[in-house]
Amino acid sequence: MKVLLVAEKPGLLPELAGFLKDLGSKLGGVEAIAFTAAPSLDEAKKFTTYGFAKSYVAVAEQAFPDQLAKAVVEIIDKEGPDLVVGVATKMGNEVVARIAGAKGMPMFTEIVDVEAGDGAVLFHRAVLGGRAISVLKPALPAAATIPARKYEAPQPGEPGEVVEVKLPPSALSLVKVEKKEKGGINIEEAEIVVGVGRGFRKKEDLAMAEELANLLGGAVGCSRPIAADYHWLPEDAWIGISGKKIRPKLYIAIGISGAPQHMSAVMDAKVIVAVNKDKNAPVFQYTDYGVVADLYQFLPVFIQKLKEKLGG
Amino acid sequence: MNVAVFVKASLDPNMLRVDSSGKILVEDIPLAISEYDRNAVEEAIRIKEKHGGKVVAFSVLTWGPLQKRVREAEQVLREALAMGADEAYLLVDEALIPGNPYTTAEALAAMVRKVGQFDLYLTGEGSMDTLSFQVAARLGEALGIPAVSYARAIEVADGKARVTRDLEEHLETVEVSLPAVISVTGEINKPRLPTLLQIRRAFAKPLNKLSLADVGYTPPSGVVEIRDLKLLAVSRKNIMVEGSSLEEIASKLVDLLVKEGIVK
Ligand SMILES: Cc1cc2nc3c(=O)[nH]c(=O)nc-3n(C[C@H](O)[C@H](O)[C@H](O)COP(=O)(O)OP(=O)(O)OC[C@H]3O[C@@H](n4cnc5c(N)ncnc54)[C@H](O)[C@@H]3O)c2cc1C
Repeated sequence: MKVLLVAEKPGLLPELAGFLKDLGSKLGGVEAIAFTAAPSLDEAKKFTTYGFAKSYVAVAEQAFPDQLAKAVVEIIDKEGPDLVVGVATKMGNEVVARIAGAKGMPMFTEIVDVEAGDGAVLFHRAVLGGRAISVLKPALPAAATIPARKYEAPQPGEPGEVVEVKLPPSALSLVKVEKKEKGGINIEEAEIVVGVGRGFRKKEDLAMAEELANLLGGAVGCSRPIAADYHWLPEDAWIGISGKKIRPKLYIAIGISGAPQHMSAVMDAKVIVAVNKDKNAPVFQYTDYGVVADLYQFLPVFIQKLKEKLGG
Repeated sequence: MNVAVFVKASLDPNMLRVDSSGKILVEDIPLAISEYDRNAVEEAIRIKEKHGGKVVAFSVLTWGPLQKRVREAEQVLREALAMGADEAYLLVDEALIPGNPYTTAEALAAMVRKVGQFDLYLTGEGSMDTLSFQVAARLGEALGIPAVSYARAIEVADGKARVTRDLEEHLETVEVSLPAVISVTGEINKPRLPTLLQIRRAFAKPLNKLSLADVGYTPPSGVVEIRDLKLLAVSRKNIMVEGSSLEEIASKLVDLLVKEGIVK
């Protein structure tokens, strides 16, 4: 099987090579070529050392999805890969979707696993808010994206052949770029995470959650609207299928309804606690210990009891 | 300014149904308008309110069984009409069920080619059931026009759109000539809730049904085969911590966390 790896920036090639190794071990006989865009050939060459038969590099300071897709389509026409694989960043999904659209291929976004045998592949995807897994068999050639940062880079080897390609112009023009604020919190590493949702009425009230997290030595995370709509917390605190996936020892969901898109990202927590004033909130289906209470009344009391325990 | 908006009748992930082995019972899960397509409808209506023109909603039915699902898909389009869309088209054909982003996008493109030209084509960034994030990009290719994904702001002026793309690390504002396809995020606006009167009036608006023969598209068969669809098991203790006062409940919860070895 011939696989074309598509990396919108060279730093994604190592994890794509990691995926390739996994695929090769299941399928055997995998040949890979790579495409990436980089400010210089030298920059790209640092990442093309994973046994790719050939690496195509577009030299560009910045590129839009339509340009990258067009460049890759030309390579596909030349190389005829069976599988086109990118990384499921927002950019990567868009580039690969354009390629799949242009070439009339099915595409499988953010595949969580691959099964292979008898020359056929089966892709596993998380669907229905992350609550279910679908197993899909594509007609080849097909395209897919792999979750970002899932696969470890294999040992680098000899630099393969590198071919420079031109990028066609884009239909988009850049007006401005604003960097998003970072909170510097790493909820993926935290052992205890206090999750806050729309049950909190204003930003200042999150102080209660912060106090609780501090007491427990944990971090504060949140549901999508708290970060994306209200900007009460930076986006690195956002938990869910479109945010961070976490696996702490304890997750406490406070004022969170328990939407599948949120809860599917905390299912690996060892213990889950929820505080919600609605006894029918779906969040209680996912909890070990549920408390039906108004968070504004319960949290001060809970914090007090914890202090007594920890102090004594 | 004429705007086409694509809405999906999605399986509602809040209403999952399974059999005893965990297999998803697709046919028993209700369809609802995909969350971010509602934002796309809202944005289309706001653009119409500002610039005039009309809003036409399009949908391809992607889940069976057909008999039962047609009504649900019509209901989804009626919702777009109640919000303020002027007209709607629904494409129903056995050959498009179960759907995949490839044949769905091609079918949507065939529909708009049949119905007319638009200045702007809007849709949600991804559907709430299958989360593939592909349709806008594929539509750009299928219609041969620019496509911009993940918009959290759109400004239209002088035959151009200025779009703020919400990417992981930054907000990127780009300009693109119209016509163009744009996908929107859930944060771009707050969709209006139609009034009872608007809901009633929506029944008088045209909702047209089309088949593949009407739009002249033949999907390839066997592009994607669904081998399995299973719920991820949840096994939790599901204990409700109760008591006669908040103090009692809080103490019990602290004790439970001590027992779990989390609070020391
Ligand atoms: C494609 C897609 C992707 C998505 N991705 C994500 C994601 O990554 N992460 C995510 O979180 N969401 C995501 N969502 C959104 C998700 O569907 C929900 O809308 C969201 O998680 C709801 O956030 P919430 O629980 O904070 O708010 P709500 O659903 O509004 O819940 C608030 C809860 O607070 C309770 N409450 C209110 N007042 C009090 C009080 N005083 N005391 C105690 N409880 C109180 C209420 O009973 C309610 O249950 C996504 C949706 C889609 C369609």
